[in-house]
Amino acid sequence: MLSRRDFLKAAVAAGTAVSIGSGFLQTASAQERTIRKRRVVKDIPSVCLQCPAGCGIMVKVMDGKAVKIDGNPAHPINEGVLCPKGQAGIQVLYDPDRIKGPMMQVGRGSGNWKQLTWDEAIGIVTSKLQELRSAGEPEKFVFMSGRASGSMKEFIDRFMSAFGSPNHVTHRSLSSDVTPITMHLMHGVREYPAFDWDNVNYILNFGASFLEAWRPTARHLRAYGHLRRGRSTRVKMVHVDTRLSVSASKADEWVPIKPGTDGALALGIAHVILRDFLYDTKFVADHTTGFEEFREMVLDEYPPKVVSGITGVGEEVIETIAEEFAAARPAVAIAERGAGMHTNGIYTRMAIHALNALVGSIDSKGGILTQRHPPVSQWPEVVQDDISRKGTATPRLDGAGSRKYPLAESNYQGIPDVMGEGKVKVLFLYYTNPFFSSPDPDRFLRSLDSVPFIVSFSPFPGESVEHADIVLPDHTYLERYQDDFAAPSLGFASVGLRQPVVTPLYDTLNTGDVLIRLAKGLGGSIADSIPWASYEDVVKFRLNGLYESEKDRLEYVDFEDFWNTLKRTGVWSGPAYTYGEWKSVFKTPSGKFEFVSAILRDEFEAIIRKSQGSAATADVSLLDLLKDLKIEARGDKVYMPHYELPRFAGDESEYPLLLNTYKLTTHAEGRGSSIPWLQESLGVHTRVKWDTWVEINPETARESGIKDGDLVSVQSQVGEITTRAKLFEGAMPGVVNIPFEHGHTSGGKWAAGRGANPNLVIANEYSYLGGLSAPFSTRVRVEKVKR
Amino acid sequence: MVKFGMVIDLDKCTACQACTVACKAENNVSFQKPEESVTRGMFWNDVLTSTEGEYPSAKMKFLPRPCMHCERPPCVQVCPVGASFKNQDGVVLVNYERCIGCRYCLIACPYNLRYFNWRVPEFPDSMKSYVNPLVPVRPRGVAEKCTFCIQRITAGKSTARKEKRELRDGDIVPACVQTCTGKARTFGDLDNPDSKVSKLIKSNRAFVLLEEKGTHPQVYYLTEG
Repeated sequence: MLSRRDFLKAAVAAGTAVSIGSGFLQTASAQERTIRKRRVVKDIPSVCLQCPAGCGIMVKVMDGKAVKIDGNPAHPINEGVLCPKGQAGIQVLYDPDRIKGPMMQVGRGSGNWKQLTWDEAIGIVTSKLQELRSAGEPEKFVFMSGRASGSMKEFIDRFMSAFGSPNHVTHRSLSSDVTPITMHLMHGVREYPAFDWDNVNYILNFGASFLEAWRPTARHLRAYGHLRRGRSTRVKMVHVDTRLSVSASKADEWVPIKPGTDGALALGIAHVILRDFLYDTKFVADHTTGFEEFREMVLDEYPPKVVSGITGVGEEVIETIAEEFAAARPAVAIAERGAGMHTNGIYTRMAIHALNALVGSIDSKGGILTQRHPPVSQWPEVVQDDISRKGTATPRLDGAGSRKYPLAESNYQGIPDVMGEGKVKVLFLYYTNPFFSSPDPDRFLRSLDSVPFIVSFSPFPGESVEHADIVLPDHTYLERYQDDFAAPSLGFASVGLRQPVVTPLYDTLNTGDVLIRLAKGLGGSIADSIPWASYEDVVKFRLNGLYESEKDRLEYVDFEDFWNTLKRTGVWSGPAYTYGEWKSVFKTPSGKFEFVSAILRDEFEAIIRKSQGSAATADVSLLDLLKDLKIEARGDKVYMPHYELPRFAGDESEYPLLLNTYKLTTHAEGRGSSIPWLQESLGVHTRVKWDTWVEINPETARESGIKDGDLVSVQSQVGEITTRAKLFEGAMPGVVNIPFEHGHTSGGKWAAGRGANPNLVIANEYSYLGGLSAPFSTRVRVEKVKR
Repeated sequence: MVKFGMVIDLDKCTACQACTVACKAENNVSFQKPEESVTRGMFWNDVLTSTEGEYPSAKMKFLPRPCMHCERPPCVQVCPVGASFKNQDGVVLVNYERCIGCRYCLIACPYNLRYFNWRVPEFPDSMKSYVNPLVPVRPRGVAEKCTFCIQRITAGKSTARKEKRELRDGDIVPACVQTCTGKARTFGDLDNPDSKVSKLIKSNRAFVLLEEKGTHPQVYYLTEG
């Protein structure tokens, strides 16, 4: 037994450990007295992973148990605050249904699981992978990943490249890759932009879920408070959206708009700015090309009268927004997947971003910034052998980057097509659940049997585990080492260190470590490419670059000292953003912002040239290409922001309504349905908890004889779901809204068998140019379920 | 004397509900079965929404609500056994051991911000492992509500005492204030004219809920817009 004195000494020696004394309660009961004993309390910094923002957290650990998560004040994304998802992280760690160790399913879908040791499990997977290489078809190994944070995405790329497969498929084509593509076409930088939220005066938001789900949410939430009342100028926010969201309500104005027409509105606003000479002439002259062509087209084709007809937004509203946007500088126009993930999304997103160029809000105070990168160590060259060289040279199975999907980096939703053709022999699923989270997920289920071997890394039960042959459960994010680069937003670079706050609860293993062990098992050049002993070493290797870059500036004794400091603070931040580095802002051929995208023109020309050089395929003309990509524009307009008619799946006479889906602030991006604290406060505006609902405009509902709370069936050409109707004045007539969250067929005691999954009715519609899913392009009908 | 109070700036509130979840986590508020979470949900700190107007000019208004810690608390007046009381810092608390479960206070509270433990508080499965040991779990049959995170107040005062100094403005940060994403919430001593809360309530945007009830809430709001 330690004496109290000794204990205190030990606690002091432990540095961060403190003890909390008694006397904090007014009235002591027997029960309360039991909690007065001294406890070892530690605050351990780490990084949240309830969304990809990368907020810093401080986890309060008492006697070895994590009891409370708060924000890390030192982290520049969230500065000590934390959203409800982050608060609820404890319930991820202590989820009662966690998978407790590696296991194998005897008969896929049978639910008959056999426990394995890690050696056995890794041995089985290694031999399956080895078979592919022996057969000379390493490209039939497909790795689908979701939230691969920090260095993990590149680490997977590296593993794949050493193995010999080009088929690492990320979920970005379902998410909002439209923004990086837009930045690629207009800036030559394929990345999400950053923003100077502290200094903006006017935010014209085309449907980005500013206060609910747009990452990094905590940064936006903080910005909101600051921009409203934290400084002398009160920001003006105008929210263009197809439904009245929290963001729309908290903005100064909500401008309802017909789905898929945001691009036309942006061009209408541009028309007024150009017509009345309200644009930033200096910025346009110094930093843009193609302005004259763009001006001519916009003045010609998008007068407010025409735009009003397309969008349903009043002419005077368009005029007013344009005047305010140009006058209240710095002003920014923002958007994300709501406006951008339509069949016409890339041109829409370009049109919205063009507004920023018109008012000079690029690389300026209060404007759009270019996210700087942390100086982490560069990876050593991948070692390849003949098999891997041959494998990586094969075209991607999902067609990303091919003439079918020219600007795509991944085409997640296209995988079932090649699965059905037997082109996928080993499938890894990391932080992703295609059987639930892709449009029309039955497509995955139907071609499931053609994939001989499926590995899931999920630490929780769910559809991806249900259909896997083997599960290699990952640690949760509170149990592992990982670096995490803060989501683009701040401008300057920031790296958080995710570290274990408790010893892992079960026999799980960081997926990074699994890949290292697989590489060792496969041996040869693969093992040579992954020389690290553990994923913690990978993180140390990468972050050593930060230490090296700072050697002169800060006084660390050695890397160990740097590492230990990082473990105490949880975050490293780079130097402040510097304006005027135009070479890194615009990497286009012209070195300027391009209203007429030379990159897109080059892309198309390259495809045409390639087809002419190849004997296997017929020559492609530009016209063929545009027809295949379902682009209606011709001439220079193809390379400019313009409005294309959005396509919708389903016959309007049969399916008269449009389906819109959205995310709530309590929605931890598909992983929140088993978190009780989030479920208990799910629908802030509907007071529906633990369930799904469909928001219908009261007028629309009346026409169909639907009352509030009725059980209704939502049908599209691909599927049907049943849920409760919620009459909502914030729903547009003719558009119904369903939040993502529920409808899991498996997923533990909380998630399984609850609510409905809107993905089941979403048709797999495309924006072909970017290989992007168009999840807002489905027509539906809603009928009362007769009992 | 100290009189703790809170100011919530509705113009900064983002309706994110981080306060709701942070409060549940900090204060061991009982879990409710999914089918009872609407009717018997317990939230010391929930966010109410009202939708006003019709499409296309509909608008939602959000109101986060902790206990008002009234200067003249009806819940304390009606308590027949003195279980509900106002402590020396102006915080309205419940002595759980004295409470006889009559629920007069639930009816007396004009804000509907008291909750009753109809059964033994539930922490199913692994939920027990993250019960905050610094906050007592309430027994069955007693009323409970927001305490302004009394455990944090006591710890803050204890620290000040150890450091042989007066309590400073900002020393005490309830869980909802700490996590508040829009920094809408401010906590402090209303009796100290120099505290942030005292300055904020002088704003012409300041108001209290149901002023006409004469309860004199120590939680103030600042209007939107």
